Amino acid sequence: MNVAAYLVPALFVLLFLFALVRKIKLYDCFVDGVKEAVPLVLTLFPYLAAVLILSELFEQSGLAAFITRLLAPCFRLVGVPTEIAPLLLIKPFSGSGSTAILSEILETYGADSYIGRCAAVCYGSSETVFYISAVYFAGSAKKRLLLPTAIALFANFAGAVLGCLLCRFL
Amino acid sequence: MNGIFAAVFLLSAALFLLFDPNGFLPAMLTGGQKAATLSLSLLAVYCVWLGFFKVLEKSGLAAKLTRAAMPATRRLFRTTDEQALFFAGSNMAANFLGLPGAPTPLGIKATERFLRAGNGYAADMLFVLNATSLQLLPTTVIALRLAAGSSAPADIFLPTLISTLVSTLLGGILVWLLSKRKRK
Repeated sequence: MNVAAYLVPALFVLLFLFALVRKIKLYDCFVDGVKEAVPLVLTLFPYLAAVLILSELFEQSGLAAFITRLLAPCFRLVGVPTEIAPLLLIKPFSGSGSTAILSEILETYGADSYIGRCAAVCYGSSETVFYISAVYFAGSAKKRLLLPTAIALFANFAGAVLGCLLCRFL
Repeated sequence: MNGIFAAVFLLSAALFLLFDPNGFLPAMLTGGQKAATLSLSLLAVYCVWLGFFKVLEKSGLAAKLTRAAMPATRRLFRTTDEQALFFAGSNMAANFLGLPGAPTPLGIKATERFLRAGNGYAADMLFVLNATSLQLLPTTVIALRLAAGSSAPADIFLPTLISTLVSTLLGGILVWLLSKRKRK
């Protein structure tokens, strides 16, 4: 089952053996790579801080809950159970927040229930869009983030609708 | 992003003013604290993967893999910049495999190179592919369902795979259509 458990150590062993055959100075080379870690995190940090402060305000102010209630009829219309609306709304902002909501839904409705399965599929088929857009375009002068972000949000929502439909059969 | 930030921030702040003025600052501080702890754990993850990818690059294996994938990636991102294609290609591979933390530094580097070359289309494409999830095996979900007492934690594999494939394809097609319209 757990393929990933073997994958990571195997990747490292194979690559490092290959590098040794190629007579690469492994230690120097690895250190060289790690050097880039600190500057990278430093450029990311301001964007991370802004997005995370915003998502905290969004959740704790009750705005997220309010919008969820507002959108609930729309979700029902396209076949998404209203119980998982909070998950769909928080996922684009916060990975840890949506993980907490998913485990809460699984506890409340049961992991094998229709709602539990829908929530699992929606979580697994989407990504933290705002977080990724903040991080990927950090430090770039690109101002027009709106369109790609909207496309990603729309595609993820379509995936969620399809996922809920599929859960009825599969 | 500026519009979204202003709108969400002001609406949330207004709600705090009306209902819970004492909760406002703690909420913001929680956000800041999360950013600080997340940055530290990201730093730890990047140490491991940036070291790994530097060895991959220097050993010459990266160039081989990049060239092998080039017929596909060159068309997808409309560039022949090998360095950028290496980053973008490994970003997608790391995404497929679900290597935790590995895709982000690669994605950032690829985006930087794409944008420096003025290739906004490639940056958008890579972002949308990443933001619609490329992961083949939803390991977190399976672990959570197992923890919640599911009798078959992996049985959401097929619907998840289908809906993530559809959302990724849809996103990619929309970016492509958009770039066509803009060029006219």
